[in-house]
Amino acid sequence: MHATIQKPIDEIMANLKPGEKVFVVGCDNCAAKCHSGGVAETEAMAKRLKEKGANVIGWCVPQPPGVSLCKLSNTKKYLQEQYADRIKEADSFLVLACGQGFHTVMDATDGEMVHPGCDTIFGGETVSDDFITEYCSLCGECVVEYTGGLCPVTLCAKSLLNGPCGGAKNGKCEVDRNRDCGWQLIYDRLKALGRLEQLKDYINPKAHSKWSRPRSLQLGDGEATFASLAGEHKVLNYD
Amino acid sequence: MSKLQQALDSGKFVITGEIGPPKGVDIERCLEDAEKLRGQVVAINVTDLQSAVMRVGSLALCTKLVERKLEPVFQLTCRDRNRLALQSDLLSAWTLGIRNVLCLTGDHPVLGDDRDAKPVYDIDSVQLLKAASFLNGGHDMSGHELEGKPDFFLGAVVTPTAEPLEPQIIKMEKKIAAGAKFFQTQAVYEPESFERFMNETQSFTVPVIAGIVVLKSAAMARFMNQNVAGINVPEELVQEMANTKSEDRKKKAVNITARIIRQLKPLCQGVHIMPLGWDDLIPEIIKEAELN
Repeated sequence: MHATIQKPIDEIMANLKPGEKVFVVGCDNCAAKCHSGGVAETEAMAKRLKEKGANVIGWCVPQPPGVSLCKLSNTKKYLQEQYADRIKEADSFLVLACGQGFHTVMDATDGEMVHPGCDTIFGGETVSDDFITEYCSLCGECVVEYTGGLCPVTLCAKSLLNGPCGGAKNGKCEVDRNRDCGWQLIYDRLKALGRLEQLKDYINPKAHSKWSRPRSLQLGDGEATFASLAGEHKVLNYD
Repeated sequence: MSKLQQALDSGKFVITGEIGPPKGVDIERCLEDAEKLRGQVVAINVTDLQSAVMRVGSLALCTKLVERKLEPVFQLTCRDRNRLALQSDLLSAWTLGIRNVLCLTGDHPVLGDDRDAKPVYDIDSVQLLKAASFLNGGHDMSGHELEGKPDFFLGAVVTPTAEPLEPQIIKMEKKIAAGAKFFQTQAVYEPESFERFMNETQSFTVPVIAGIVVLKSAAMARFMNQNVAGINVPEELVQEMANTKSEDRKKKAVNITARIIRQLKPLCQGVHIMPLGWDDLIPEIIKEAELN
């Protein structure tokens, strides 16, 4: 899940030119779950902008229910089949979704002007309907096998790979005494799993070339090729 | 070989001191503090943007100490530099005559005076020690050969009163495997828990220099108890300070520091005294602790 929050309405308004014909697009997957760009929020955004004087010419959240806006083929087909006239008429699109969904609308409209309506804040686990939190930093090189399944890159404020710093007090992190020390969590879990000896393994520095952006994934028949500054890395999924 | 290394190798009980560079370019007072330590300590740590506050760098003041024939311990944290800059600063340090390096993680930028600075931590303190060991061996951490290699005396830190202690000890072992030849500790005020730590790590055979921050007031002790990880000033000491008239505080600070040092001396290989500006007390502390 890509977690998002809406930008302040006044900031959005400030980026619309007087009379600019804007069409609002939401996402029925992640943004809907974050209450930043589902059906209700997208309709409300259109209304709120109109009340502030914006020239909103329509809104939509591409369907079927639950589909991600970032699926280009679906978004393009939906917009062009359901809203062909509006798309032609619009000067710009306001997207209530993550940065990937935002770019998808740019692609789906063949490069029209697109305004971001949200800030993309992190990729997280939907722990419950009203709580999302971050367990992965998308670094391209997973180390959780050695850390009891808990990612130190994400859970440690300093992304330390070889154990805690000296900054924790009562199991809480130096950056915020209400926040758990990631390495305390890792230690507790490895101990509970009877795998504490794994804490003794030296973990190499991250290959930041795998964390370079932009990265891509090319899918083939039973294979996938990950491209980053580390080069092209092909894996066979059934071998 | 550095004097610090020689002293530790010879089994002598070592005393080290510390100075913190200023925020701004007036470094005279800081150098005066260092002068007060001349002849009293074997080496002087220079902190690296301590408390994550932007200020003059450790490398510059270490160089000033070298020029004055005072031996520095170059504190190097992982907070502000990626692996290229860390290794480069190590090579630079060697060319400037710096021989001792203390490898640390570094306080997080949100604790400092610019919360929005990017926390770098490209490598951690264990990986930094390993990188420095590679440099000592004539290669950088990616395996490329160096034209001329340094021979740093590498140190690391450990928090002996951390709770739980086990992850600290596991990391200490990793630091030793990565090339740490000596350890400095977080400030110790409870010799009993320090003794427990020394017993648990007695198989490590790497010298340990116990840290001690000179207590200036009861308020400072309470502040450290609340805010500084791994420091616990027992209530009796806080009270002892609280019951001291302000004009007698320096004398009390000497008494307490010397008393703790006397208790720590049989347990470890040296003490690292952090006077935080009260550098003029060091000779008295050393005398009263019977370290001469």
